[in-house]
Amino acid sequence: MEMMGIERDRLHMSWVSSAEATKFIDVVTQVTEAVRALGPNTRFVKQQAKVA
Amino acid sequence: MTLVTIDKKDWLKGLTAAAESYRLFGPVKEKDWHQFEELDKGEMPDLNMVNTRLSPKALLFPQSEDMLEYSLDETRDDHHIMKEVRKDYSPRAVVGIRPCDAKATQLIKLNFDAPDIKDPYWLKAYEATTFIGMACDTPLSTCFCTSTGCGPYHEEGLDVLVMEQNDAYLAKILTDKGQVFADASGWATTSDDAATFEAGKKAAEDRIVSKIETDNLADTDLLELHGAPFWDDVAFACINCGTCTFSCPTCWCFDIQDEVNGKSGVRMKNWDSCMFPIFTVHTTGHNPRDTKTQRVRQRFMHKLKYFVDKYHTGIMCVGCGRCVRQCPVNIDIRRVCELMNSFNPTDACASQG
Amino acid sequence: MLGYTEKMRGIASRLLKDCSVEMVIGFRKGSMPMMNEPCFVTTIEDVPSLIWDSNCGINLANYLTNRKEKIAVFAKGCDSRNIVNHIIENKIKRDQVHIVGVPCTGMIDKRKIAGMVKGEILEVSETDDTIKVKTADSETLFEKTEVLQQNCTLCIHRNPVIHDEMVADPVEEQTSLDRYADIQKIEEMESEDKWQFFEDLLSPCIRCYACRNACPLCYCPTCFVDESKPQWMGKGQDPIDVRTFHFLRAYHCAGRCTDCGACERACPVGINMRLLTRKLEKDCQEQFGWEAGLSLDQRPALDVYQTNDPGTFIK
Repeated sequence: MEMMGIERDRLHMSWVSSAEATKFIDVVTQVTEAVRALGPNTRFVKQQAKVA
Repeated sequence: MTLVTIDKKDWLKGLTAAAESYRLFGPVKEKDWHQFEELDKGEMPDLNMVNTRLSPKALLFPQSEDMLEYSLDETRDDHHIMKEVRKDYSPRAVVGIRPCDAKATQLIKLNFDAPDIKDPYWLKAYEATTFIGMACDTPLSTCFCTSTGCGPYHEEGLDVLVMEQNDAYLAKILTDKGQVFADASGWATTSDDAATFEAGKKAAEDRIVSKIETDNLADTDLLELHGAPFWDDVAFACINCGTCTFSCPTCWCFDIQDEVNGKSGVRMKNWDSCMFPIFTVHTTGHNPRDTKTQRVRQRFMHKLKYFVDKYHTGIMCVGCGRCVRQCPVNIDIRRVCELMNSFNPTDACASQG
Repeated sequence: MLGYTEKMRGIASRLLKDCSVEMVIGFRKGSMPMMNEPCFVTTIEDVPSLIWDSNCGINLANYLTNRKEKIAVFAKGCDSRNIVNHIIENKIKRDQVHIVGVPCTGMIDKRKIAGMVKGEILEVSETDDTIKVKTADSETLFEKTEVLQQNCTLCIHRNPVIHDEMVADPVEEQTSLDRYADIQKIEEMESEDKWQFFEDLLSPCIRCYACRNACPLCYCPTCFVDESKPQWMGKGQDPIDVRTFHFLRAYHCAGRCTDCGACERACPVGINMRLLTRKLEKDCQEQFGWEAGLSLDQRPALDVYQTNDPGTFIK
């Protein structure tokens, strides 16, 4: 995804167990902050199909 | 029919004048091939080309085309009502279309402009279009138009046929639509040099080296041909991609899909291909042609037999050779046509013992 | 590779004659320069149609998928690796295929050659290391090495990795190649430039699916792009849909792709979609030390868990 031009911080992969509530909150906070810092995604967005 | 000459120096001026009242389309160079595109202001069609990679059929029959649009927003009065998509059907002209591609338009017309069923999208685009053909003096070794009822100077489907003649173009105006375009372009210098046209035609036809025979196709029994023993061999290499059907100027199959984004949606038609495994799959899940051999046979039988029997206007192929050149595994319609045309059911039975 | 044709015909005749196989899969002469057509032969009378030269780039493993017969197949290095994949993925049984190994010195790139000469190519002939190209008014001689398909110039498995017999002695393998220079260049780009790069790369795509269908890895009964219940992606020409098809297809080939080049070769508009598959090939190699299709005894990297699998990307 990154190779194709999606910003690095827009993608996150984490492993959170159902018992790790605090980690879950941390991860979600971190992800939202990182994505918010990048601003709205303009690249991989399909509005209405662009056709003739 | 009027002949006019256009000095090459005035060609640009003429087309610029025509662009006042027409949207112009023509071949332009893209990467290492030519493609039909809408021309920008002042941009000239690049006539120094061999066949375009894809045929210009997309000008009337885009690969993806919106048909209807709708809203799913229930607070609107018009929710769930299909509405026609507004499109630009103002006059347009294709400059530099080859006679083979123009003839292909006429074959497609048989399907999209049938007495009982009309395709409004294709038909409106067709009626808005003036076809300015460029006679073909540089055929490829894979061109076999002269044996498909077509030819490098064939006029069917054209409004004007232009040939190159040293420093000038000689244009034959074939229809009223063509005359209107010629007037808009200021092409007024008439010529009586019909002999040059004839000579050009003769010379160009002599340059076509590839030929096919189609004389037996109509008389061969349909079911016998359908059950001919060569289909597995013909189909073996096929990978079931859509290259042949997408590049073909006469293939017209399409598939209708809805796409919804949030609360608004469109119903669109997309090119389909009889090579694709899901082509015409029924809603029951039944697939009428679920093997590769059946699909390949469908393509060739449609072009070279069903069409022949249904319309009595020859084969559904204009001999442009695009599928021959582009097929990734070299399945050659000329070879298949030869097999079909020379097929003799009695021999086949005898060999089966 | 010039002497291969006669030897292949001999092998095919022998195998058909002693009934050890029901069909032989190979190539026959094409109707165009630089094109051969994959074909099958079931009788000794048809054996003379078999040929071999530098235009046999189509991957024949593609023609083995789900077949039930006992088959002999001619296999270059890449084909043999895809046969290994096929056996591992249960698309054909090992004892069903008689693999005739073909040491390969590379296939020529018809698009590249067409770009190097003026006018229509009418005839192409070859010797072991040269390619002669004739047009209506010229004749050009190329070194074979300068007109190879890019994947062949980067190939490090020219000899079959699995075979029941060989057509000839192994050829020398290429070593000390910088196989991923072009991928590295893209990796080093700014994110926005990467996006634009692939936008340009994929813009000519007509979604004919020749790349997918030429690929021996793509054998799903219904591809995700064709599904309509649910519809995973749009079917039109929207650039986002085109991109989704290409990058998801590449993912499906991760850890399986042998870079045989069939996809790029088949593409009617000349898209180098191998830039996507090779990035994944590179990652597999760097992170898992994995190269696809080399052994029947080892499960693919993405098939098994190992304690030393890299995990730093999981936060």
